[in-house]
Amino acid sequence: MDNVIELMARFLVVGAFAFGGGGAALPLVERITVAETGWLTPQQFAVGVGFAYATPGPILILSAFVGFYVAGITGALAATVAVFAIPVVLAAGSAGVVARLNRYARFRAFGRFAAAAAVGLLAVTLAALTRPVVELHPGLLAGALAVFAAERFGLSPVLLLAIAIGAGAAAGAAGF
Amino acid sequence: MSDQQRPALAVVGWELLRLGAFAFGGLGATLALLQRGLVDRRGWLRQEDISEALAITQALPGSTGIQVVSYLGWRLRGWPGALVAAGAFIAPATALMIAVAAASLALPDEPWVRGALAGIQVGVVGLIIAAMWRLARNQAKNAMLTAVLLTSCVVGFFVHAVLIVVGAGLLGALLSKEKSDG
Repeated sequence: MDNVIELMARFLVVGAFAFGGGGAALPLVERITVAETGWLTPQQFAVGVGFAYATPGPILILSAFVGFYVAGITGALAATVAVFAIPVVLAAGSAGVVARLNRYARFRAFGRFAAAAAVGLLAVTLAALTRPVVELHPGLLAGALAVFAAERFGLSPVLLLAIAIGAGAAAGAAGF
Repeated sequence: MSDQQRPALAVVGWELLRLGAFAFGGLGATLALLQRGLVDRRGWLRQEDISEALAITQALPGSTGIQVVSYLGWRLRGWPGALVAAGAFIAPATALMIAVAAASLALPDEPWVRGALAGIQVGVVGLIIAAMWRLARNQAKNAMLTAVLLTSCVVGFFVHAVLIVVGAGLLGALLSKEKSDG
Protein backbone atom coordinates (compact mmCIF):
# COMPACT_ATOMS: atom_id res chain seq x y z
CA MET A 1 0.00 0.00 0.00
CA ASP A 2 2.89 2.35 0.80
CA ASN A 3 4.17 1.60 -2.67
CA VAL A 4 0.87 2.60 -4.26
CA ILE A 5 0.78 5.87 -2.33
CA GLU A 6 4.36 6.73 -3.32
CA LEU A 7 3.54 5.76 -6.90
CA MET A 8 0.54 8.10 -6.97
CA ALA A 9 2.41 10.95 -5.31
CA ARG A 10 5.27 10.73 -7.79
CA PHE A 11 3.04 10.45 -10.85
CA LEU A 12 0.89 13.37 -9.68
CA VAL A 13 4.12 15.41 -9.75
CA VAL A 14 4.88 14.19 -13.28
CA GLY A 15 1.42 15.27 -14.45
CA ALA A 16 1.66 18.65 -12.74
CA PHE A 17 5.00 19.49 -14.37
CA ALA A 18 4.57 17.91 -17.80
CA PHE A 19 5.01 21.21 -19.66
CA GLY A 20 5.42 20.72 -23.40
CA GLY A 21 3.24 17.59 -23.51
CA GLY A 22 3.74 13.90 -22.75
CA GLY A 23 6.89 13.36 -24.84
CA ALA A 24 8.67 16.16 -23.00
CA ALA A 25 7.70 14.55 -19.67
CA LEU A 26 9.64 11.32 -20.33
CA PRO A 27 12.68 12.68 -18.43
CA LEU A 28 10.53 13.22 -15.33
CA VAL A 29 9.27 9.62 -15.54
CA GLU A 30 12.78 8.28 -16.12
CA ARG A 31 14.13 10.22 -13.13
CA ILE A 32 11.50 8.90 -10.71
CA THR A 33 11.31 5.30 -11.95
CA VAL A 34 14.94 4.51 -12.78
CA ALA A 35 17.34 7.04 -11.27
CA GLU A 36 15.63 7.83 -7.96
CA THR A 37 13.74 4.70 -6.95
CA GLY A 38 15.20 1.87 -9.02
CA TRP A 39 11.67 0.59 -9.66
CA LEU A 40 12.75 -0.31 -13.21
CA THR A 41 16.11 -1.03 -14.81
CA PRO A 42 17.03 1.24 -17.76
CA GLN A 43 16.29 -1.73 -20.04
CA GLN A 44 12.82 -2.29 -18.56
CA PHE A 45 12.15 1.44 -18.84
CA ALA A 46 13.14 1.38 -22.53
CA VAL A 47 10.80 -1.55 -23.13
CA GLY A 48 7.98 0.40 -21.45
CA VAL A 49 8.69 3.47 -23.59
CA GLY A 50 8.72 1.28 -26.69
CA PHE A 51 5.28 -0.11 -25.90
CA ALA A 52 3.98 3.34 -24.96
CA TYR A 53 4.92 4.49 -28.47
CA ALA A 54 3.41 1.37 -30.04
CA THR A 55 0.04 1.49 -28.26
CA PRO A 56 -2.66 4.07 -29.07
CA GLY A 57 -3.18 7.06 -26.81
CA PRO A 58 -0.78 9.35 -24.94
CA ILE A 59 2.88 8.43 -24.37
CA LEU A 60 2.42 8.92 -20.62
CA ILE A 61 0.38 5.70 -20.64
CA LEU A 62 3.87 4.49 -19.80
CA SER A 63 2.75 5.11 -16.21
CA ALA A 64 0.49 2.01 -16.42
CA PHE A 65 3.54 -0.09 -17.34
CA VAL A 66 5.62 1.33 -14.49
CA GLY A 67 2.72 1.00 -12.06
CA PHE A 68 2.25 -2.65 -12.97
CA TYR A 69 5.93 -3.38 -12.23
CA VAL A 70 5.66 -1.69 -8.84
CA ALA A 71 2.28 -2.96 -7.61
CA GLY A 72 0.44 -5.07 -10.18
CA ILE A 73 -2.90 -4.02 -11.64
CA THR A 74 -3.67 -1.75 -8.66
CA GLY A 75 -0.39 0.03 -9.26
CA ALA A 76 -1.05 0.35 -12.99
CA LEU A 77 -4.45 1.95 -12.44
CA ALA A 78 -3.21 4.16 -9.59
CA ALA A 79 -0.27 5.51 -11.61
CA THR A 80 -2.46 6.11 -14.67
CA VAL A 81 -5.11 8.01 -12.71
CA ALA A 82 -2.41 10.02 -10.93
CA VAL A 83 -0.48 11.06 -14.03
CA PHE A 84 -3.58 12.29 -15.87
CA ALA A 85 -5.57 13.72 -12.92
CA ILE A 86 -4.08 17.22 -12.77
CA PRO A 87 -3.82 17.74 -16.58
CA VAL A 88 -7.43 16.58 -17.09
CA VAL A 89 -8.78 18.81 -14.33
CA LEU A 90 -6.80 21.80 -15.62
CA ALA A 91 -7.98 21.22 -19.19
CA ALA A 92 -11.65 20.80 -18.25
CA GLY A 93 -11.38 23.78 -15.90
CA SER A 94 -9.95 25.84 -18.77
CA ALA A 95 -13.07 25.21 -20.80
CA GLY A 96 -14.89 27.27 -18.16
CA VAL A 97 -12.83 29.50 -15.93
CA VAL A 98 -9.08 29.11 -16.25
CA ALA A 99 -9.09 30.10 -19.93
CA ARG A 100 -8.83 33.69 -18.72
CA LEU A 101 -5.41 32.94 -17.19
CA ASN A 102 -4.21 32.04 -20.65
CA ARG A 103 -4.66 35.64 -21.73
CA TYR A 104 -1.96 36.72 -19.32
CA ALA A 105 1.42 37.01 -21.00
CA ARG A 106 3.27 36.01 -17.82
CA PHE A 107 1.31 32.78 -17.54
CA ARG A 108 1.99 31.88 -21.16
CA ALA A 109 5.68 32.82 -20.82
CA PHE A 110 5.92 30.43 -17.84
CA GLY A 111 4.54 27.61 -20.03
CA ARG A 112 6.84 28.39 -22.97
CA PHE A 113 10.02 28.51 -20.89
CA ALA A 114 9.08 25.45 -18.83
CA ALA A 115 8.40 23.51 -22.04
CA ALA A 116 11.76 24.48 -23.56
CA ALA A 117 13.53 23.30 -20.39
CA ALA A 118 11.55 20.02 -20.42
CA VAL A 119 12.64 19.33 -23.99
CA GLY A 120 16.26 20.00 -23.03
CA LEU A 121 15.92 17.41 -20.26
CA LEU A 122 15.31 14.76 -22.94
CA ALA A 123 19.10 14.78 -23.37
CA VAL A 124 19.38 13.28 -19.87
CA THR A 125 16.83 10.57 -20.70
CA LEU A 126 18.58 9.88 -23.96
CA ALA A 127 21.90 9.44 -22.15
CA ALA A 128 20.31 7.07 -19.61
CA LEU A 129 18.78 4.92 -22.35
CA THR A 130 21.80 5.03 -24.67
CA ARG A 131 24.27 3.78 -22.05
CA PRO A 132 22.89 0.19 -21.85
CA VAL A 133 22.68 0.05 -25.68
CA VAL A 134 26.34 1.03 -26.00
CA GLU A 135 27.25 -1.57 -23.36
CA LEU A 136 25.57 -4.25 -25.51
CA HIS A 137 27.48 -3.11 -28.59
CA PRO A 138 28.52 0.41 -29.71
CA GLY A 139 27.61 -0.51 -33.29
CA LEU A 140 23.93 -0.63 -32.27
CA LEU A 141 23.98 3.19 -32.20
CA ALA A 142 24.00 3.09 -36.00
CA GLY A 143 20.68 1.24 -35.77
CA ALA A 144 19.28 3.93 -33.46
CA LEU A 145 20.37 6.64 -35.90
CA ALA A 146 18.74 4.71 -38.75
CA VAL A 147 15.47 4.61 -36.76
CA PHE A 148 15.76 8.38 -36.17
CA ALA A 149 16.35 9.03 -39.88
CA ALA A 150 13.48 6.74 -40.91
CA GLU A 151 11.12 8.47 -38.46
CA ARG A 152 12.08 11.88 -39.88
CA PHE A 153 11.46 10.39 -43.33
CA GLY A 154 7.89 9.69 -42.23
CA LEU A 155 7.82 6.00 -41.26
CA SER A 156 5.46 5.11 -38.40
CA PRO A 157 7.04 4.54 -34.96
CA VAL A 158 4.94 1.38 -34.59
CA LEU A 159 6.38 -0.06 -37.81
CA LEU A 160 9.93 0.98 -36.85
CA LEU A 161 9.64 -0.69 -33.44
CA ALA A 162 8.26 -3.85 -35.05
CA ILE A 163 11.25 -3.94 -37.41
CA ALA A 164 13.69 -3.29 -34.54
CA ILE A 165 12.15 -6.10 -32.46
CA GLY A 166 12.15 -8.50 -35.41
CA ALA A 167 15.76 -7.71 -36.32
CA GLY A 168 16.83 -8.06 -32.69
CA ALA A 169 15.04 -11.39 -32.25
CA ALA A 170 16.56 -12.74 -35.49
CA ALA A 171 20.06 -11.59 -34.49
CA GLY A 172 19.61 -13.11 -31.02
CA ALA A 173 18.41 -16.42 -32.41
CA ALA A 174 21.34 -16.48 -34.86
CA GLY A 175 23.70 -16.16 -31.90
CA PHE A 176 25.00 -12.59 -32.18
CA MET B 1 -25.81 24.08 -27.37
CA SER B 2 -29.44 23.27 -26.46
CA ASP B 3 -30.18 20.34 -24.21
CA GLN B 4 -31.71 18.13 -26.92
CA GLN B 5 -28.48 18.33 -28.91
CA ARG B 6 -26.29 17.30 -26.00
CA PRO B 7 -25.25 13.68 -26.47
CA ALA B 8 -25.86 11.28 -23.57
CA LEU B 9 -22.90 10.64 -21.27
CA ALA B 10 -22.79 6.96 -22.23
CA VAL B 11 -22.69 7.84 -25.93
CA VAL B 12 -19.83 10.31 -25.32
CA GLY B 13 -17.99 7.57 -23.41
CA TRP B 14 -18.53 5.00 -26.15
CA GLU B 15 -17.36 7.34 -28.92
CA LEU B 16 -14.18 8.31 -27.01
CA LEU B 17 -13.47 4.65 -26.17
CA ARG B 18 -13.67 3.88 -29.89
CA LEU B 19 -11.40 6.82 -30.77
CA GLY B 20 -8.97 5.95 -27.96
CA ALA B 21 -8.47 2.48 -29.41
CA PHE B 22 -7.23 3.98 -32.70
CA ALA B 23 -5.28 7.01 -31.47
CA PHE B 24 -1.93 5.86 -32.84
CA GLY B 25 0.80 8.19 -34.03
CA GLY B 26 1.00 11.07 -31.58
CA LEU B 27 -0.79 14.40 -31.20
CA GLY B 28 -1.26 15.34 -34.87
CA ALA B 29 -2.87 12.02 -35.76
CA THR B 30 -5.00 12.14 -32.59
CA LEU B 31 -6.36 15.60 -33.45
CA ALA B 32 -7.29 14.43 -36.96
CA LEU B 33 -9.02 11.39 -35.46
CA LEU B 34 -10.99 13.54 -32.98
CA GLN B 35 -12.09 15.79 -35.81
CA ARG B 36 -13.31 12.87 -37.92
CA GLY B 37 -15.13 11.31 -34.96
CA LEU B 38 -16.59 14.29 -33.08
CA VAL B 39 -17.00 16.88 -35.84
CA ASP B 40 -17.51 15.00 -39.12
CA ARG B 41 -19.19 11.81 -37.93
CA ARG B 42 -21.14 12.84 -34.83
CA GLY B 43 -21.55 16.54 -35.55
CA TRP B 44 -21.30 17.35 -31.81
CA LEU B 45 -18.63 20.03 -32.19
CA ARG B 46 -17.10 22.36 -34.77
CA GLN B 47 -13.55 22.33 -36.09
CA GLU B 48 -12.96 25.64 -34.28
CA ASP B 49 -13.72 23.93 -30.94
CA ILE B 50 -10.81 21.55 -31.48
CA SER B 51 -8.45 24.38 -32.48
CA GLU B 52 -9.53 26.35 -29.41
CA ALA B 53 -9.03 23.33 -27.13
CA LEU B 54 -5.54 22.84 -28.57
CA ALA B 55 -4.56 26.50 -28.21
CA ILE B 56 -5.63 26.62 -24.57
CA THR B 57 -4.39 23.24 -23.35
CA GLN B 58 -0.93 23.53 -24.93
CA ALA B 59 0.02 26.13 -22.34
CA LEU B 60 -0.98 23.76 -19.51
CA PRO B 61 1.17 20.90 -18.19
CA GLY B 62 0.17 17.38 -19.25
CA SER B 63 -0.39 15.18 -22.29
CA THR B 64 -1.98 17.53 -24.79
CA GLY B 65 -4.05 14.87 -26.60
CA ILE B 66 -5.96 13.79 -23.51
CA GLN B 67 -6.34 17.42 -22.43
CA VAL B 68 -8.00 18.28 -25.74
CA VAL B 69 -10.33 15.31 -25.12
CA SER B 70 -11.10 16.56 -21.58
CA TYR B 71 -11.75 20.09 -22.79
CA LEU B 72 -14.12 18.84 -25.50
CA GLY B 73 -15.79 16.47 -23.01
CA TRP B 74 -16.47 19.46 -20.75
CA ARG B 75 -17.99 21.35 -23.69
CA LEU B 76 -20.32 18.39 -24.36
CA ARG B 77 -21.44 17.43 -20.83
CA GLY B 78 -19.65 19.57 -18.22
CA TRP B 79 -17.45 17.93 -15.57
CA PRO B 80 -18.99 14.42 -15.91
CA GLY B 81 -18.43 14.69 -19.66
CA ALA B 82 -14.77 15.65 -19.19
CA LEU B 83 -14.05 12.79 -16.77
CA VAL B 84 -15.93 10.17 -18.80
CA ALA B 85 -14.32 11.32 -22.06
CA ALA B 86 -10.79 11.27 -20.59
CA GLY B 87 -11.30 7.91 -18.86
CA ALA B 88 -12.83 6.26 -21.93
CA PHE B 89 -10.14 7.66 -24.21
CA ILE B 90 -7.22 6.15 -22.25
CA ALA B 91 -8.98 2.90 -21.26
CA PRO B 92 -7.88 0.87 -24.33
CA ALA B 93 -4.25 1.99 -24.00
CA THR B 94 -4.24 1.30 -20.24
CA ALA B 95 -5.53 -2.25 -20.77
CA LEU B 96 -2.93 -2.86 -23.49
CA MET B 97 -0.08 -1.52 -21.34
CA ILE B 98 -1.10 -3.73 -18.40
CA ALA B 99 -1.16 -6.73 -20.74
CA VAL B 100 2.29 -6.04 -22.21
CA ALA B 101 3.77 -5.27 -18.77
CA ALA B 102 2.49 -8.64 -17.49
CA ALA B 103 3.76 -10.38 -20.64
CA SER B 104 7.18 -8.72 -20.39
CA LEU B 105 7.59 -10.06 -16.83
CA ALA B 106 6.78 -13.60 -18.02
CA LEU B 107 9.23 -13.68 -20.95
CA PRO B 108 11.62 -16.66 -21.04
CA ASP B 109 15.37 -15.97 -20.95
CA GLU B 110 16.08 -17.10 -24.52
CA PRO B 111 18.61 -15.61 -26.96
CA TRP B 112 15.85 -14.41 -29.33
CA VAL B 113 14.01 -12.68 -26.44
CA ARG B 114 17.18 -10.90 -25.35
CA GLY B 115 17.70 -9.89 -28.98
CA ALA B 116 14.13 -8.59 -29.29
CA LEU B 117 14.52 -6.55 -26.07
CA ALA B 118 17.78 -5.09 -27.36
CA GLY B 119 15.90 -4.24 -30.57
CA ILE B 120 13.29 -2.28 -28.58
CA GLN B 121 16.05 -0.40 -26.73
CA VAL B 122 17.74 0.56 -30.00
CA GLY B 123 14.42 1.60 -31.55
CA VAL B 124 13.46 3.69 -28.52
CA VAL B 125 16.77 5.59 -28.55
CA GLY B 126 16.10 6.46 -32.21
CA LEU B 127 12.50 7.50 -31.48
CA ILE B 128 13.54 9.72 -28.57
CA ILE B 129 16.10 11.48 -30.76
CA ALA B 130 13.28 12.04 -33.27
CA ALA B 131 10.93 13.31 -30.53
CA MET B 132 13.61 15.64 -29.19
CA TRP B 133 14.28 16.95 -32.69
CA ARG B 134 10.59 17.69 -33.31
CA LEU B 135 9.91 19.15 -29.86
CA ALA B 136 13.04 21.32 -29.99
CA ARG B 137 11.95 22.81 -33.31
CA ASN B 138 8.49 23.52 -31.86
CA GLN B 139 9.65 24.97 -28.55
CA ALA B 140 12.90 26.81 -29.37
CA LYS B 141 11.12 29.68 -31.11
CA ASN B 142 13.69 32.37 -30.30
CA ALA B 143 17.25 32.78 -29.02
CA MET B 144 16.16 33.00 -25.38
CA LEU B 145 14.12 29.78 -25.52
CA THR B 146 16.94 28.04 -27.38
CA ALA B 147 19.33 29.09 -24.62
CA VAL B 148 16.94 27.72 -21.96
CA LEU B 149 16.67 24.42 -23.85
CA LEU B 150 20.45 24.02 -24.23
CA THR B 151 21.10 25.04 -20.61
CA SER B 152 18.66 22.43 -19.35
CA CYS B 153 20.40 19.80 -21.55
CA VAL B 154 23.52 20.34 -19.41
CA VAL B 155 22.13 21.32 -16.02
CA GLY B 156 19.68 18.39 -16.22
CA PHE B 157 22.52 16.00 -15.41
CA PHE B 158 23.08 17.69 -12.02
CA VAL B 159 19.82 19.26 -10.85
CA HIS B 160 16.39 17.74 -10.16
CA ALA B 161 14.16 17.79 -13.25
CA VAL B 162 11.17 19.45 -11.55
CA LEU B 163 13.37 22.28 -10.23
CA ILE B 164 14.67 22.93 -13.75
CA VAL B 165 11.19 23.01 -15.31
CA VAL B 166 9.78 25.31 -12.62
CA GLY B 167 12.91 27.48 -12.55
CA ALA B 168 12.74 28.00 -16.31
CA GLY B 169 9.02 28.81 -16.06
CA LEU B 170 9.63 31.42 -13.36
CA LEU B 171 12.44 32.95 -15.41
CA GLY B 172 10.00 33.26 -18.32
CA ALA B 173 7.34 34.85 -16.13
CA LEU B 174 9.88 37.35 -14.73
CA LEU B 175 11.24 38.30 -18.15
CA SER B 176 7.79 38.70 -19.65
CA LYS B 177 7.05 42.44 -19.75
CA GLU B 178 3.45 42.93 -20.83
CA LYS B 179 0.81 42.31 -18.20
CA SER B 180 -1.83 41.04 -20.54
CA ASP B 181 -2.77 41.05 -24.18
CA GLY B 182 -6.36 40.03 -23.61
